[in-house]
Amino acid sequence: MATPDPTVVERVERAAEPAPTPEPAPASTFQVKNLSVWYGDKRAIDDVTLDVASDAVTAIIGPSGCGKSTFLRCLNRMHELVPKTRVEGTVFLQGEDLYSSDVDPAIVRRRVGMVFQKSNPFPTMSIGENVVIGLRLNGVRSQKFLNERLEKSLRMAALWDEVKDDLHKAGTSLSGGQQQRLCIARALAVEPEVLLMDEPCSALDPIATAKIEELIYELKAHYTIVTVTHNMQQAGRISDYTAFFYLGRLIEFGPTTKIFTNPNERQTEDYITGRFG
Amino acid sequence: MHSKRADNHTWRTIKSGLASTVAFISALLVIAPLGLVFFHLLVNGASSVNWDFFTKLPTPVGTPGGGMVNAIVGSLELLAFASIIGIPIGVLGGVYLGEYGSARVNSVLRFIADVLNGVPSITWGVVVYGLVVLRFKGFSAYAGGLALGLIMIPLITRTTEEVVLLVPNGYREAALALGVSRWKTIVHIVIKTASRGIITGILLALARVGGETAPLLFTAFGNRFWNHSLSQPIAALPLQIFTYAISPYDDWHRQAWAGALVLVTGIFCVNVLVRILTRGRTASIV
Amino acid sequence: MTPHRHILGTFDEALASLRNNVLMMAGLTERSLERAMKGLFERNDDLCANAIADDEEIDQLEKQIDKDGVDILLRFQPVASDLRRVVSAMKLSSNLERMADQATTIARRARKLNQHPQLPEVELIRPMYEHAMSMFKDSVDAFVREDVDLARAVVPRDQTLDDLNRAASRTLIERMAQDPDQLRGYLNLIFVGRCLERVGDHATNIAEDAVYAAAAEDIRHQGVAAST
Repeated sequence: MATPDPTVVERVERAAEPAPTPEPAPASTFQVKNLSVWYGDKRAIDDVTLDVASDAVTAIIGPSGCGKSTFLRCLNRMHELVPKTRVEGTVFLQGEDLYSSDVDPAIVRRRVGMVFQKSNPFPTMSIGENVVIGLRLNGVRSQKFLNERLEKSLRMAALWDEVKDDLHKAGTSLSGGQQQRLCIARALAVEPEVLLMDEPCSALDPIATAKIEELIYELKAHYTIVTVTHNMQQAGRISDYTAFFYLGRLIEFGPTTKIFTNPNERQTEDYITGRFG
Repeated sequence: MHSKRADNHTWRTIKSGLASTVAFISALLVIAPLGLVFFHLLVNGASSVNWDFFTKLPTPVGTPGGGMVNAIVGSLELLAFASIIGIPIGVLGGVYLGEYGSARVNSVLRFIADVLNGVPSITWGVVVYGLVVLRFKGFSAYAGGLALGLIMIPLITRTTEEVVLLVPNGYREAALALGVSRWKTIVHIVIKTASRGIITGILLALARVGGETAPLLFTAFGNRFWNHSLSQPIAALPLQIFTYAISPYDDWHRQAWAGALVLVTGIFCVNVLVRILTRGRTASIV
Repeated sequence: MTPHRHILGTFDEALASLRNNVLMMAGLTERSLERAMKGLFERNDDLCANAIADDEEIDQLEKQIDKDGVDILLRFQPVASDLRRVVSAMKLSSNLERMADQATTIARRARKLNQHPQLPEVELIRPMYEHAMSMFKDSVDAFVREDVDLARAVVPRDQTLDDLNRAASRTLIERMAQDPDQLRGYLNLIFVGRCLERVGDHATNIAEDAVYAAAAEDIRHQGVAAST
């Protein structure tokens, strides 16, 4: 009888070992506890608790009006731009309470950047000016520093090669997809810890969308990203975790593969398979 | 049956032709006054618009010749003074209405501004007469400039407010999301984006008050000579035209025509400038 | 099973059509097996011929199910339970096709056996046949009704079938030694037994796919370490 192949033996022996202890849960950037938000008398977010994992992409899905944009905006206190908002519960960023009375919302927004659905480069400024405007208006004067940040941000947004010779041209002279990447570069220039994205690709064609998805995939190595999307396939493609909202409540939250292959809640399953309504 | 349809078609064609003809004639009637004004001004005033007009002072009563240089310069001085009062207050007021305030307070302020825009300009003259001329016992360039400035304020406020409101909210949100403070957002983003529209509003206000006569009647009062101190009466082009037009002298009448032509041309040019500034932005002044 | 309907009606229709094809294929396969075995027990060559003829239709159904499955994946990008159902349906079709091939093999062997006088050892096969068919019926039932418990119960029965096959083979080999004139007949019976054993394996696969479709659990190959 031939001697058994050592690698096979090794494999069989390893299979007989007990399973290794599971890795500890990943660090979380945001800890949201019992968050509720009212616009006047209307309750937009109802008692939401979840932790947003660091250096990963969390997608927020749900039908229209379910509160996903409101929730996103709570993470950088942008919902306060609407008058008569009231917040209960806490949002902690790396252990700091974002809503405590001695916290300046502007500081929060410097740490938590945002990219919007419709790209909005400032119309009176060139590409270069657009990228560094956040730094300039926050007091940075050194031209050398600004130039370094300009190149770094445009490289991170995968836009440097396309615009490096045209930095003086108007920001609005770019295509839709490029404008959105410009907005991403602008948000990254102030070096936030988190990047929030509110349906960043819904106004873009498929190729521009694919480029931005690729960019998100690269960015998540360095940033915590939270994105609202109504495109289920996109959520499945780019995110590590998915949160499903309905009528202001968090119905289910978990790893994306679980949510999209075998969700716990019937409502989640009905929504993602298109049985809703 | 065929002929009935044909009759209908003919009748409809006739009706359609009538309607377009009536519309065309109406349009002509709208344009006609402008044409008439320019025609008359050119015919009567062109001959008197000469180098003297722009360089010489008025001659003594009854003596032919002379010009309106002091009135032209006086008008410019009054406009400058009015701008110092009207532009800052007007722009800041417009920014407040567009950016801050509550809905109820703002609608009240807007209503007041609209009412003021409709107040006859002579009223402003009377008000400033009572407040300044009587207090300081004399007509002055200050009083004239103040009267014009007060007219400019509600005008500029409303136009500024409208362009500020036209600035898409997306830009404000983008700036705030970068951690920029509210007032910096307004100054560097909102006002900068609306600047073209704000300047347009200012130019239109200047064109409007540049031709005002009534408020200057009891404030600036007019001056046949150079004005050497702002607390003295000062000449202004519309005032001078008025004085010359009601005088019994032919030569002064001719100069009045020339003055009117220069004044209308000036306002015309400002409007053309506004057009040029707002061109190429697809009907948006933002 | 699916109380809510998809908003896209065409999606529901496509899934229903896929399911119907799977049911039809399962029915045809079952009939093929029955005919082949009946042809063996009753020495009826016509039944064997029918079983062999059905194979072509079953092959066409396999192709149709795979094509429809890929079409659904392409058009509707299903997720969660829909995705599992489609993938399982496609795997089922390949298992059913192989079972039909086994039926064809049985029918051919049966025809050969029918050319010679009947062997009493044919009855050794009968319990295997009944066991395999009951596994088959239960596994398809479990898939259709998404009955996880029924499906799980099918898996250990494969062991029983293997034991029955081993016992029957041993007996037949002994008979071969005792009665060399009937060697071919006994060999053919051994092959038939092996076919039925494979039918049981395929039924187990179907049951495992049924558990995956219904509960998202992959219960395959769990007994490997224990059985080596």
